[in-house]
Amino acid sequence: MSIPNFIIPDLLLLLFPFIVIGSRLFCDAKSNVPWRIANIGFLLIFLLLNFIPLAGGEGRFFICNWRVDDFGVFMREVLVVSAILGMWFSKDYFMHAAAGKPQMHQIAEFIGAIAFATFGGVTVVSACDTITFFLGLEIATIPMYALTAWNKQDQLGSEAATKYILMGSVATAFELFGFSYLYGFAGSLHFDAIQRAVAAGASPLLWIAVLFLFCGIGFKLTLFPFYTWAPDVYEGAPTPVTAVLSVTSKATAIAFLVVLVYGPLAPVQEQIAPLIALLAGVTLFVGNLGALKQYRLRRFMAYSSIAQAGYIMVALLGTAAMAKTAIIYYLFVYAVSNYLAFFVFGIIGHHREEIFDSLRGLSKQNPSLAIALAISMFSLAGIPPLAGFFGKFHLFFSGATTGHYMLIAFAVLNNVLALFYYLQLVKSAWVDEPDGHLNPLRLTRRQRGVIILLSCAVVILGFLPFLSDNIFMGFSGL
Amino acid sequence: METVLFNLIWVIPLLTVLACIPIPATCERALRAVHTASVSFVLLIVCVLTYRVFALGAAPADPASAPFALRFFTDIPWLSAFNAHYIVGADGLNMLLLALTAFIVWAGVLVSYKIKGNQKVFFALIQLLATSVYGVYMSFDLVLFFVFYEMEALCMYLMIACYGSGRRDYGGKKLTLTLAFGSSMILATLFGLYFESGTGSWSLMEISKVTLPMDFQMWAFPLMFMGFAVSSSLFPFHFWSPDGHSAAPTAVSMLAAGVMMKMGAYGCLRFAMFLMPEAAKIWLPYVVALLIFNVVLGPFIAIRHKDLKYITAYSSISHLGLIFLGLAALTPVGLRGASLQMISHGFLTGLFFATIGMIYERTHTRDITEMGGIMKKMPFLGVGFVIAGFAGLGLPGFSGFIAESTIFIGAFQQDSTLTRIVTVLAILSITTTAVYILQTANRMLHGPMPAKFQTLTDGCFREKLVIVVLVFCLLLIGIFPGPFADMLDLSIAPIFNRF
Repeated sequence: MSIPNFIIPDLLLLLFPFIVIGSRLFCDAKSNVPWRIANIGFLLIFLLLNFIPLAGGEGRFFICNWRVDDFGVFMREVLVVSAILGMWFSKDYFMHAAAGKPQMHQIAEFIGAIAFATFGGVTVVSACDTITFFLGLEIATIPMYALTAWNKQDQLGSEAATKYILMGSVATAFELFGFSYLYGFAGSLHFDAIQRAVAAGASPLLWIAVLFLFCGIGFKLTLFPFYTWAPDVYEGAPTPVTAVLSVTSKATAIAFLVVLVYGPLAPVQEQIAPLIALLAGVTLFVGNLGALKQYRLRRFMAYSSIAQAGYIMVALLGTAAMAKTAIIYYLFVYAVSNYLAFFVFGIIGHHREEIFDSLRGLSKQNPSLAIALAISMFSLAGIPPLAGFFGKFHLFFSGATTGHYMLIAFAVLNNVLALFYYLQLVKSAWVDEPDGHLNPLRLTRRQRGVIILLSCAVVILGFLPFLSDNIFMGFSGL
Repeated sequence: METVLFNLIWVIPLLTVLACIPIPATCERALRAVHTASVSFVLLIVCVLTYRVFALGAAPADPASAPFALRFFTDIPWLSAFNAHYIVGADGLNMLLLALTAFIVWAGVLVSYKIKGNQKVFFALIQLLATSVYGVYMSFDLVLFFVFYEMEALCMYLMIACYGSGRRDYGGKKLTLTLAFGSSMILATLFGLYFESGTGSWSLMEISKVTLPMDFQMWAFPLMFMGFAVSSSLFPFHFWSPDGHSAAPTAVSMLAAGVMMKMGAYGCLRFAMFLMPEAAKIWLPYVVALLIFNVVLGPFIAIRHKDLKYITAYSSISHLGLIFLGLAALTPVGLRGASLQMISHGFLTGLFFATIGMIYERTHTRDITEMGGIMKKMPFLGVGFVIAGFAGLGLPGFSGFIAESTIFIGAFQQDSTLTRIVTVLAILSITTTAVYILQTANRMLHGPMPAKFQTLTDGCFREKLVIVVLVFCLLLIGIFPGPFADMLDLSIAPIFNRF
């Protein structure tokens, strides 16, 4: 049997965690070998992904149940980028203990778990039937439970993991229930068959299935009213896990919705639009309100990411092509901005408590760190010319194609609220006077390099549109 | 060649920021030299191009820019995902505003030589702010325009909160968030304009070719107009301006009051009124009613204030109210007066905030009750302040007189009782303006001098240069308004023809 080229990165990604974890058999606990293998492996996969030709078509494999299309390729890139950044971020936590936290051990297993979660995300975007789809979501979620509880001695972490598992299991139950009704409605597990059945006519059975599926994924995407676990888990998990959780798990959940809404449920997208609009509007409002009064960095990021989930939902109201472009672009932007923020918080967290006051005087002691923080915050707040603005513009544009002006006006007004709390953070770093009691910050070479790389990425992703589209040709014609 | 130069106006500030990255923050002299050279160069380019626009006069322009007659017209596809273009061009109105910006940025950099804190970041932020303002005035594509318009928020907060005085965090947040509130209203209307016009284009010229549905115009016009009016501090959205200005460092006050507040009025004229003229006719009388606060009550509030920057901020509010009076009059004379006032007030308020900043740098207080006899120690700065004050109350010979009298004539021409009543009230309010200006000048400059002011010195060469240049501009427009009015008339005609 011949293996098509486009499947190679997926196979590598599947083998990869086994190799990383297996390498522990041949080297001791302090060895750097697994880390190197992981770096090479992920970068290789990322490179290979870039070689998959995008033709607007799709390739199918494995009795037509594994699909690789343009959206899938870009989602793979988002997930792999998130895994690479998460891996780089976690390295320091395995070398020194963060302030007030036990040191982390077993980096090989840790990276293996991230790789499994990444593979789960890939499975979700590649699935063509509900079984694979569901499996993907579980593969993506279960390693996250383990990652959350990585520090066994940390009480907060264990509490967070328990909460996460309980909530996640309920969500899984909801999804399974939804899928079973979907099967009952369509009489088939395959997406194409379900789509045909949905197009033929809806019934209450279908609406129950849709409702339960949205409830289930609402937990994972932290939509209102299922977001309550997020602040506690974000706060309790080790910082690198929080970062991975906020990007990989969110990207997987949104990919799930995109596949669902523009796949089997495409014929009734207009009917479920009010539900999406309601979830989007309430979620971003609640996220923004919740973030206003936070003073702990990671709790703050939890609410911020809840609000971001609401913004992403706005795009789901648009047409398929528009929404997919918008969501892919936004996820890239969100991943880069969010990781940049987490890198800064990570450096703070290594030496100080993770609260706003620890940022005091940052602009005077570490101006470059303060600039990086401002860049990431303004990007998350959607201020041009940073990447976040174009990302949000894309999302709103997608929502506006179907005429949801009221929701967009509401979302845009919410941006003012969001700007307020992002400014609050920038204020701590830029305006407040330095506090002599705070420990000095030390940056390793890797941290410095990654922060510069990500800051440039946020600025360039924003300016990239300026450079695209034959603008140089246009100028040469003057 | 000229087109390339024109496009360089907003690029040079950005390049300067990039060029300064390798210079360490401790080399403040080198940083200041680079930035001064950069802003002077931009000022030169803008002056040359302004003269070119004037010299070309009514000569035919690129037909692609119809109904405007735009010079240096550039149209390049930019974001294919939503069909946004990079469209810039210049007519008399925005060229003169660009010139105003270039002067104020130049003056702003010169007065900030002694700013405390990290000068590298400060000057970089000023340059970014300059980029944003240049971009706003140049662009004729809604997306491009909005990108530049929203960029200011990024710089303003950091500049006020890090380099300001007094309640800087509060003032900065108030200003930034209120402006962001305004721009969010604009963004919502932009999407509506794009999809309701059905042209599939963000270009101002393309959208103006369709008549937008009336029910859309009826909600979109007030939203967009008020969105812009927020940054021009039209009542009831004026509250950010006194706190924001008083907390800001001198250069930022100058830029905010001098050019950024004009962006709002410019946006109202160029975007809201131009694209939705039918709704404008219905809604503008309500704007006239709002103006009563700006024009009539603004000066009264200024009388009661003792902080110099608060006084100037309320005086700005009343002067900007006059711009809206000119716009709402909907007569060619009124529109000309409004655009003249935008430019005139930019120089005027720039001069005001510059002298206040220089005086504050020496006395470390802006409370006029604590000052006195400053004329003895700082005659040059004192005279600069008095000239700014006289220009502000519309003394003939200065640009303020020309602009304001044009607005009054234009507004009175309109056949509406409300507008006429407001016009009469506005004319009477000049007396109130005279009260607070003379009272301030008297308390601050004359009378007994507190002992602690004995050691103060007059402005240095750099500061005197700023004052002289700004006074020169005020006088130039005041004494030879003809060429400016001609340039403005040519660019207002396409907008007025829509009504």
